Amino acid sequence: MIVSTGRDLSAQVKPPRTVFVNFPMGNTFGKAFDASQQRAILRDVLAALESITAAGEIIDLAYKWHEEFGMNLGAGYQAKSD
Amino acid sequence: MESIAYVSRLNEFYRSQGFPPYRWTVNETAPLTRLAKPLNRCRIAMLTSGGVSRHDAPRFDPLARNDLRLDAIDADTSPHFFAISDSYYNHQDADRDINCIFPIERLRELASDGTIGEVAPHHYSGFMGRTYIRSAVVNEAAPRLAAQLRDESVDAFVLVPA
Repeated sequence: MIVSTGRDLSAQVKPPRTVFVNFPMGNTFGKAFDASQQRAILRDVLAALESITAAGEIIDLAYKWHEEFGMNLGAGYQAKSD
Repeated sequence: MESIAYVSRLNEFYRSQGFPPYRWTVNETAPLTRLAKPLNRCRIAMLTSGGVSRHDAPRFDPLARNDLRLDAIDADTSPHFFAISDSYYNHQDADRDINCIFPIERLRELASDGTIGEVAPHHYSGFMGRTYIRSAVVNEAAPRLAAQLRDESVDAFVLVPA
């Protein structure tokens, strides 16, 4: 089971089961100290272990991030391009 | 909002740096093994690839490449006993609360309330480097990890890439 914030990345690798959360990379389970949302997402992820029956299926969770966000490549890509 | 098009944007990034096209792993099919028992009887382990180390272990190299290091993490580790070293994503929130990317406390709670059977003795952290040595992963590192999971009777494995 993969918990993905990169839907297209996971779709081409095709793990057996994927749950997609449309949150920034680094916030897969939400914001710091928001235990109830973290728990809710993890509960949904675990439920998908049983509900996904087709290999490679992706379940899109309906959670919305509170603001627009982009791809954050991080300092590493600038410091050492390879 | 629409999900971010990481593949095309990374392709463009590599092109802008003058590199040849990145050869992505593209799989047409996937295996699927049904759970052998109900979720509330399953033993669950997790993996983070977010450069997460325990304070009693060396930090990961934040600019790692081809780093297949994989740490076994005692499942009862305190959420305050971790450091994150990774320069490829924003971990400001996760620095304050590891559960943002590695929800070890939440999993313990879901074991306590009976959602899952139990937490496995170990979670895992690693595979964080930009990895271009696919065959070493597929033929060596991943099977080694799978064997460890089997040894600890793990029923389901939750991977959280970062």
